[in-house]
Amino acid sequence: MTIEELKKYNGRNGSKAYIAYKNVVYDVTQSPLWQEGEHEGLHYAGEDLTIQLSGAPHGEEVFKNFPVVDTLEAYESQNSTISSLPWTFKMKVERWYQKYHPHPMTVHFPIALHLFAAGLDLLFLYDQKEAYALSVFYTFLVATIMGFVAMIPGILSWCVNYNLSTYPPFIIKLIVSILTLILGILNIGIYLENPDIVYSSSAFGIIYHGIVLLTGLSVIVLGYYGGKITWGDHSKMKTGQTIKDIHENEGILLKIPEEKNELLKQQDHQGLAILIGGAAGSGIDTIEKILSEAFKAYGYYVFSTKEFMSRVRGGSNSTLIRISDTPVHAPCWKVDVSIAMDEASLEHMQERWRSDTLVFADMEYSHNMPDIIPVEMKESAKKFGDLRYINTYMAGFVFGLLKLEKRALLESIGNHLKDDTLNVQVADEGYGAGTNVENITVAKLPQNNKQIMENLHLMDGTTASGFGFLAGGCNMVTSYPMSPSTGVLNFMASCSEKFTIIVEQSEDEIASLNMVLGGWYAGARAMTTTSGGGFALMGEALSLSGMTETPAVIYLAQRPGPATGLPTRSEQGDLNMAIYSGHGPFERIILAPGTLEECIECGYLAFELADRYQIPVIFLSDQHLADSMSTIGQIDFSAFEQHRYIIESDKAYKRYAETEDGISPRSVPGLGEGLVCSVSDEHDEVGQITEDHETRVRMIDKRSRRREMLHANAILPKISGNGNIAIIGWGSTYSAIEEALSLLDDPHLCHVHFSWVHPLGEKQLQVLEAYERKFVVENNADGIFADQLKLHGIKVDDMILQYNGFEFFADELAIMIENAVKEW
Amino acid sequence: MQNIFERENVDVAWCPGCGNFGILKLIKEVLEDLAVPKQQIVMVSGIGQAAKTPYYVDTNMFGGLHGRALPVATAIKAANPELTVIAEGGDGDMYGEGGNHFLHTIRRNPDIIHIVHNNMVYGLTKGQASPTSQQGFITKVQVSGVSNEPFNPLGVALSLKAGFVSRVNIGNYAHAKEVVKAAFIHRGYALVDIFQPCVTFNKINTYQWFKENTYILDDTYDHTDFDKAIKKAFETMPMPLGIIYQDKEHHATFEEHLRGKDTRPLYQTQHDLSKIQELFNGY
Ligand SMILES: Cc1ncc(C[n+]2csc(CCOP(=O)(O)OP(=O)(O)O)c2C)c(N)n1
Ligand code: SF4
Repeated sequence: MTIEELKKYNGRNGSKAYIAYKNVVYDVTQSPLWQEGEHEGLHYAGEDLTIQLSGAPHGEEVFKNFPVVDTLEAYESQNSTISSLPWTFKMKVERWYQKYHPHPMTVHFPIALHLFAAGLDLLFLYDQKEAYALSVFYTFLVATIMGFVAMIPGILSWCVNYNLSTYPPFIIKLIVSILTLILGILNIGIYLENPDIVYSSSAFGIIYHGIVLLTGLSVIVLGYYGGKITWGDHSKMKTGQTIKDIHENEGILLKIPEEKNELLKQQDHQGLAILIGGAAGSGIDTIEKILSEAFKAYGYYVFSTKEFMSRVRGGSNSTLIRISDTPVHAPCWKVDVSIAMDEASLEHMQERWRSDTLVFADMEYSHNMPDIIPVEMKESAKKFGDLRYINTYMAGFVFGLLKLEKRALLESIGNHLKDDTLNVQVADEGYGAGTNVENITVAKLPQNNKQIMENLHLMDGTTASGFGFLAGGCNMVTSYPMSPSTGVLNFMASCSEKFTIIVEQSEDEIASLNMVLGGWYAGARAMTTTSGGGFALMGEALSLSGMTETPAVIYLAQRPGPATGLPTRSEQGDLNMAIYSGHGPFERIILAPGTLEECIECGYLAFELADRYQIPVIFLSDQHLADSMSTIGQIDFSAFEQHRYIIESDKAYKRYAETEDGISPRSVPGLGEGLVCSVSDEHDEVGQITEDHETRVRMIDKRSRRREMLHANAILPKISGNGNIAIIGWGSTYSAIEEALSLLDDPHLCHVHFSWVHPLGEKQLQVLEAYERKFVVENNADGIFADQLKLHGIKVDDMILQYNGFEFFADELAIMIENAVKEW
Repeated sequence: MQNIFERENVDVAWCPGCGNFGILKLIKEVLEDLAVPKQQIVMVSGIGQAAKTPYYVDTNMFGGLHGRALPVATAIKAANPELTVIAEGGDGDMYGEGGNHFLHTIRRNPDIIHIVHNNMVYGLTKGQASPTSQQGFITKVQVSGVSNEPFNPLGVALSLKAGFVSRVNIGNYAHAKEVVKAAFIHRGYALVDIFQPCVTFNKINTYQWFKENTYILDDTYDHTDFDKAIKKAFETMPMPLGIIYQDKEHHATFEEHLRGKDTRPLYQTQHDLSKIQELFNGY
């Protein structure tokens, strides 16, 4: 659940009380320590207590007793850590105070002493010995002094920890302790005035003994309410029942939801799917790279993708690796093998298990979960001196478990880790442990084929897009970093040492796109990389590109919005913004590749089209496409012809000369005799500002004349299958739809994939006319592309939408498609 | 003889008597004196009255968006270091809307000339306060007078170690021309803040006012002394005119840093496809 959803479970007014710790959500409703959603008056249900726990007098072990209900999705402020908080002196004192609780440390003395004094006094009243009388007085004296000593931190505690709460126990305690103190002082006065008073039955004598006995009672009251404040109201807990019992009776232990599982069993995925979970920074990235490369070298088709929280350390992330003997390019939801590198990830991954999923976890936390196979990963890593070796150990373990020949693995480790000798040893040991796992066979092990795999390349969508841009001749990149687009910025920067490429991190996205325009104006092939929020800032400059007919290439890697949304998750939510961003009428092209090959092709085309038509071209990717890795065949880069659509100018050169097709030959400053004048105001052919209404109309018509050419040259949708029911997708959904349809194996279904999503021309739309029914699959909440189709007069029967932050999983998508189609 | 940078058939959109005319004349004269071929010059501007200057100079130009001349100019210079690049605009354009770019362009140090017409008012939008408006200046928006502290471009530029920081008054034409020329010759980012009376919307900061409230730094002032420059940048009433600071040493410019000695225009470069192939095959 999100932090916002969590807030609703604040335990007040009969709602459940949930708290989050390290991204796991626990149910504390039943806990007597969490009455009305409050704990110690300090912590409140409905909150993430990760940071607060460091100030608690107990460790995280307490959470183990509470049932787990969900995981907490990442949110921005989570990144702040204790050390980065600005601690004022006052806050430091408060923190020390909250951690050490000086009141409970001191309060037991006066309670015991007052009771002791009262007891002794009863003895004295029975047998009036002087020794008793003296003992009573001195005990009482010390009790009163200690009472005062305990009151100070008590009151402080009330202020600091409980914010001057008016909860009755506090008020009762306050009144009773002040009374006790006053009576104490009074009594000491009475005694000192005349010690013999203790033997007399005068009024003062009776008062003296009365007070001693009364304070004995009053400390009982104080103790009772103190206990109530600290431990809450016990009355709700049944006798003899512990918190753990409640939890176990409710059967919260990791459980697989049965019905869904049944459904999915019928729609299985191809090959073998391995899911590895762990905290950020624990090395699952490395394990993904090592294993993917090793599997490929061993002769498998590989697909891998990660799912991670927006944070650098901690949290619970996972990486999915699929291996197969036929090409795989999409993720699946249910997995065959699941490996937990820490405890939180068990929880995190369980919804992806089937009843026959093999689950491996460390000894330490696997014991109370019957179906989990324990692995000695922590101990083994520790043996090598660092817990961080768990990742290499488990990489070895997986290879061993599948009984694959280990050379490929060790080579891959050598390629990815610098101090490989120790890592190789660790992996070797993990490999041994894997082969030793008994009584388990991995049923679906695919057949390997090294020859085929040798001719394939393993990369993610980011890298493939980068190769496309390189092929397109990109020689200037100006960007402001933003996930998930930054990978391309990094890739291009890494290439800037081998190729002439200017890479600059701009001060903001406004500067990014204005720099891109400056670059193209002067003859560069420039691009910027960004995501939704950054692209939103580029609107005005996009419009400038349209007005000045200056080409531009924008790599827009989408992530879920609005606003900062889910920074590390996936969604196809920015299509509308890409189509409509920027004021005024102007042409643009939007490309949305769905495969690695298309990433390269569209990357190249983006530059070609921008240059040829002098318009902005937006390359739409998303987190899923950018971060998923799979195999791609050989690409012949010599086929990417390099054009430069610029001319040498003569003296009479007019930048915006009227032409039949609307494209005015573009020159650049310094190339030829002429001058190149571009302006953002409406202008005449020379590029001089004008408000002449006829020129305005002529110029708009000139600029829009190229639309026909765009339509004529648009990439047609890619079709697979012969059915009459079209499953229409665009961009990154390509592979998930392909696999889902092959799982369904229904001859009526046919996949229609658009990689050119704007502008939609007649030729492309005609393709859709052949289908009786049309279903649009989109990774967003609104069906944006479906709306575009409708706008162009296409009847859409239904939409299959997913907008939970995840990309489509082939197996789940198969069910969604089946259900949607069934209803018709 | 007519200046070769005189542009034919243009309809100048400035009010008679505006300080912008002086600046336009000055720019054309300096360009002619420096004898740079007009094909090698690019004037980049944003939007505003001042930002129209490039429309009236016969050379290449890129008239961009309000506030955004600097990133465009920086990229043009990087894409073709052989060009002489000028970014020109008003105080609102450069210090207000484009304030962030002002800061970061100084940090990048591209070899461009940055000319800011400082009339202490928004001309094109008819008389609102600009970042450099003096406190108490009354407009239709700032009805009880400007309360914000005026922006100090010299102080800001110095704090970012700009290599050339200057201020002139177009009322002192000959002096202004000297300084602008020096800015063109300087290698690296050069700021010239030009006092320019707006005769229509600023009845306070007139030719007379600028004359009374400024003075020209004489030869005894050492403009290579950074500490003194800081002091000068904060002097008011009268405000100093001239080169406030010029770094004695050359610092690598943005394009030198990115491209080293390679000054080829990027349209002449192409990636070696076999190298791309090689890189790809490594995956
Ligand atoms: C994004 C944007 N916001 C506002 C404007 C309107 N605008 C044009 S020029 C200008 C200010 C002009 O003042 P200044 O830059 O000082 O130049 P001057 O006209 O005084 O020479 C404004 C606010 C615009 N064109 N674009
Ligand atoms: S409005 Fe002011 S700045 Fe603009 S042209 Fe007129 S006098 Fe000059």
